[in-house]
Amino acid sequence: MDLRRMIEFVIFFFFAAVAVIFALVVILHRNAVVGALSLVASFFALAVMYVLLDAPFLAALQVIVYAGAIMVLFLFVIMLLNLGHRTEEPARPIQQFLGFTGSAAFAITLIYYIAKYTAFRVLPTTPFLSDARSIGVTLFEAYIFPFEMVSILLLAAIVGALLLSGRGRQAVNP
Amino acid sequence: MIPTEWFLILSAILFSIGVCGVLTRKNGITIFMSIELMVNAVNLTFLAYARQFHQLHGLIFVFFVMAIAAAEAAVGLAIFISLFHHRDTIDVDEANLMHW
Amino acid sequence: MPFDATDIALSFVKIGITLFMLLNVAPVMNWVERRGSALIQDRPGPNRVGPFGLFQTVADALKFFFKEDIIPAQAHRSLYMMAPAIGLLPAMTTLAVVPWGRPFLLHERTLFGRTVFQGGRWFEPIVADVNAGILIIFGLASLSVYGVTIAGWSSANKYSFFGAIRSSAQMISYELALGLAAVSALLVAGSLRLTEVVAKQTGYFVLFDTIKLPAWNVVSPAMWLSFIIFSVAAFAETNRLPFDFAEAEAELVAGYHTEYSSMKFALFFMGEYMSMFTMAALVTTLFLGGWDVPWYNEPATFGGFLISFVSFLLKVCFLMFVFVWVRWTIPRLKYDILMRIGWKVFLPLAIVNIILVAGFIAKGWI
Repeated sequence: MDLRRMIEFVIFFFFAAVAVIFALVVILHRNAVVGALSLVASFFALAVMYVLLDAPFLAALQVIVYAGAIMVLFLFVIMLLNLGHRTEEPARPIQQFLGFTGSAAFAITLIYYIAKYTAFRVLPTTPFLSDARSIGVTLFEAYIFPFEMVSILLLAAIVGALLLSGRGRQAVNP
Repeated sequence: MIPTEWFLILSAILFSIGVCGVLTRKNGITIFMSIELMVNAVNLTFLAYARQFHQLHGLIFVFFVMAIAAAEAAVGLAIFISLFHHRDTIDVDEANLMHW
Repeated sequence: MPFDATDIALSFVKIGITLFMLLNVAPVMNWVERRGSALIQDRPGPNRVGPFGLFQTVADALKFFFKEDIIPAQAHRSLYMMAPAIGLLPAMTTLAVVPWGRPFLLHERTLFGRTVFQGGRWFEPIVADVNAGILIIFGLASLSVYGVTIAGWSSANKYSFFGAIRSSAQMISYELALGLAAVSALLVAGSLRLTEVVAKQTGYFVLFDTIKLPAWNVVSPAMWLSFIIFSVAAFAETNRLPFDFAEAEAELVAGYHTEYSSMKFALFFMGEYMSMFTMAALVTTLFLGGWDVPWYNEPATFGGFLISFVSFLLKVCFLMFVFVWVRWTIPRLKYDILMRIGWKVFLPLAIVNIILVAGFIAKGWI
């Protein structure tokens, strides 16, 4: 096994472990702020996974959009509602038991069937060319309609968030 | 190169961790964060398949999923804020009335 | 491409040089800030500790080491201790995708009895020449919000929390104008790679068939608006005056790093200067021609690389002095005015600027 493959394996296992461990911290820790920051770390590890999958453009987008914008929004909401200083009481034991065993069974089933039935024994030999130019060409030629629709969706989301967060209510209700 | 099954298994693990978070927690923000974890696991699956079959459509799909997840996060958090203003708790067990 | 131990060794050398540049920024800028502000305010500045006060930085560093490290009783301990490190991480890693010198050819030679660089190898003075270079910089600039926010929240102090929220809201607002203004420089280069952005600026504009101007982006009038927007957004991103209302002395004590003492405060201090260095390096790369020496075609040898490295450092140092100059010259903007012009003036200007620059490129005027 030459140096490049060895380094790829080491990077994969390290960042996969980081992603899984921080995901576990998100669902297990009491404090919401620690959960949000662990999710940021998990997203960053996933961005490294995307680089290993020959998609550096999407890795950078993952860091910009998810870790840099959506999680900042989460963190702001948690801090402004002062949820970081109150710890929630845990769920009822029966709910916890059923939740853990159900998701563990789900995970084991999925992993078993993936390992048994995926027939991807042959990896492609050429690297996947996914630079900004080819993504841009595909986006603006084959996917131009969803692109425009997503921009209108984002506008609707902005207006909806403004209305729902309480500011519009004083103007709407008589 | 890393075999594609390994990425699919990692994605399955992250997805089930997200499912566990949705089922087990009572804090609305934590449930929402687990949903985002599930969406990211699915993104990883899309990219693994895109690399396996050398298709750019997987990448474009992930691009759109990211944009729509951003919009969803904004609106969802606005809903949580208004829930918090009315009930002064973010506990989803308390959001059990259809109209008040 | 074949990947062997020589690549790893060269990568370590490049990382070492980049880290050396970054770690030396804070001490040098401490002296420059104090003597520069003294120069502008017509007073001597520190001049006792060494010749021209040059060892004042050493005295300050020793003071930071020996101060008592106080942690507030109600602070969230783990996040409080990690916040300076989280703030330092984006500032130190962003410089990995910025080219700081001319690529040159390493000839084959024998070192300790074995031949290295067989067949000649190009030394690219950039730690990671990624396809999506500029996007990595935007991503890491978005991550720099976290250091500020966590520092303010975990200090268990209402005023530092308030300053942190203001500061992070300002940073995320001006990130948009920063990114969109950088896009116009990328439109000229036709690629997201910073090495190609600099390579496009190594040519010459010929005016009236006689005057040869270096083809830097700042020389052509079509890019002046993007240069101005990017520079102003760079000031806002690094929380420097005139945009430092959130950490203004005498307003909010010290904003988000009020409760930090000795080395943790020194880490925030260093992080701010490192992000200033990174922003200055970005302005240099995108608009001032990066490592290009103005009217000289450097050869692809080690001497040419040294000249280009010195040229890069000179440009960045000049921009850092401009940062200090602006700080002590212009009064700070009030917070609501700052946010208003960020969203209502700079963002529309940046969007219109992209359309304008695209039009100029289509007509061939750049």
